[in-house]
Amino acid sequence: MSGAVLKILKGGTQTTLQDAGRPGHRHLGIPKSGAADRLSFALSNYLVGNPWDAPALECTLGGLHIRFLKQTRIAISGADMKAQINGMNLGMNRCVPVEPGDILTFSFGRIGCRAYISVEGGLKGESFMGSVSTYIPAGFGGLEGRAYRAGDEIYSAELDSSGANTLPFGYAPRLSRHIVLRARSVTEWDWLSPAAQRYIYTSPFHATSDTDRMGARLRGDKIDLAEKKDMVSSPILPGTLQIPPSGQPILALIDGHCTGGYPRALQVITADLWLLGQIAPSSPVSFRRCSPEDAPVILRGRNAFYEGLMPGFRF
Amino acid sequence: MASKLIPRIRPFGDNGILISYDVKGYSETACKTVHALGDILRTQEDIWTNVIPAYDSLMVTFNPMMTKADSALHNVEAAYEKISKRLPKSKSKIIEVPVYYGGQNGPDMQNICKSSKLSEDQVIKRHSKITYRVCLMGFIPGFAFLSETDKKLHHPRHETPRGLVSPGSIGIANWQTGIYGLESPGGWQIIGRTPLSIFDSKRKNPFALKAGDMIRFVPQGDPS
Repeated sequence: MSGAVLKILKGGTQTTLQDAGRPGHRHLGIPKSGAADRLSFALSNYLVGNPWDAPALECTLGGLHIRFLKQTRIAISGADMKAQINGMNLGMNRCVPVEPGDILTFSFGRIGCRAYISVEGGLKGESFMGSVSTYIPAGFGGLEGRAYRAGDEIYSAELDSSGANTLPFGYAPRLSRHIVLRARSVTEWDWLSPAAQRYIYTSPFHATSDTDRMGARLRGDKIDLAEKKDMVSSPILPGTLQIPPSGQPILALIDGHCTGGYPRALQVITADLWLLGQIAPSSPVSFRRCSPEDAPVILRGRNAFYEGLMPGFRF
Repeated sequence: MASKLIPRIRPFGDNGILISYDVKGYSETACKTVHALGDILRTQEDIWTNVIPAYDSLMVTFNPMMTKADSALHNVEAAYEKISKRLPKSKSKIIEVPVYYGGQNGPDMQNICKSSKLSEDQVIKRHSKITYRVCLMGFIPGFAFLSETDKKLHHPRHETPRGLVSPGSIGIANWQTGIYGLESPGGWQIIGRTPLSIFDSKRKNPFALKAGDMIRFVPQGDPS
């Protein structure tokens, strides 16, 4: 079984190889990376019978065209980008067989930002610190640490597959254009003006075009700081909302810097981090306060629900 | 020191804890303490998913499925109690970092000369005579945030960051000095460049530096 399983005809806006990421290296300046929407990524793998964390394609916004070079099975989850095989509409969240020569095309979706394409057996990439996740700013993982472009050929990772699966009712997440994130106030919350503390949880923001895997710049009511204090570079996490002097918040995403120099106002709860991957430029984004008691209960419930389907899966 | 520094230990989101001193400027005591605390917590591999020391703070993350937030908090407090009584001695060796100061390698050298009213040679002397602590790694892989530089050399960042800063560039931002491990956009005042490769993902050990290391800059070339 030599030879690539698929060839990229058009890379689209940005298509990279992603897996569950390389956690635990933030003290070295290495972000976790991995699929920006971990849930949709895991579900596409489940459908083709892969382990939930098998490397898969992450297609941002759309425009990706692929030719298959081998007979295999694929599934698409996440944002609906009107995928077609040889010009025939292809449903989301279904395992479908493909033949050598078949051409898979993505248009552009209206809801969400990222689609995941899993191929039976997973896809192969360059490993760095235990993960093949592509991290473009430092150029490692995937293929030469960059987004795929026309002519790139991708090989199978030849992982064991348990065969095609169907998704039981209720397991496919219903994406909405408006991304609502449950969050907790964190360490520099007190620096916000009283008015800002009120509307950060009530008024919606919009993601600007300055939105990628590293972060989303949000625009909305100005979030004022009660006092301007200097902050020294300090750790941040995916899901940390920072408030720069402009008052337009920055939400750190899965490839986000490990340190930031702005006050940290909110932290999105772990169970909602997968939604960060579906923030597209111009998406409305809102934050809802989550109590400290609720956050672990929500996480336990969500993990238990999906772990029944995908052993070992964790948000 | 007259008054003893006491850190705040608080939850950060649903899976993190932040220990922070919130000092103004650089505090050697705060930095040493959070790094020592980080060393202790790093040995508790079954609890912590990340241990991230910084200048005057330390962030740790845990898996909320395995560890309750309360017990994580108690754990950090207990570790702090232990080291606050006596700070363990660190035994880091000093790493020498060769630097070509000024000229093409340090396009902002003149800014520092102007604000400090020092000659280029004096700036180099002052910048290179200090033994720096690597306080924090990030914001991109290989970027080393170092301890405070000479008071005369303090200088604010560029208002508009440069589009691209060469890898190995050594910069100043307010009281901080640091090294860009990778080519990236950046707002620091660049005064020199090291030929040392700070980060190389193809190398067996990709990281030439880690938080807690001590370094000294060694001026290269002809100072004439």
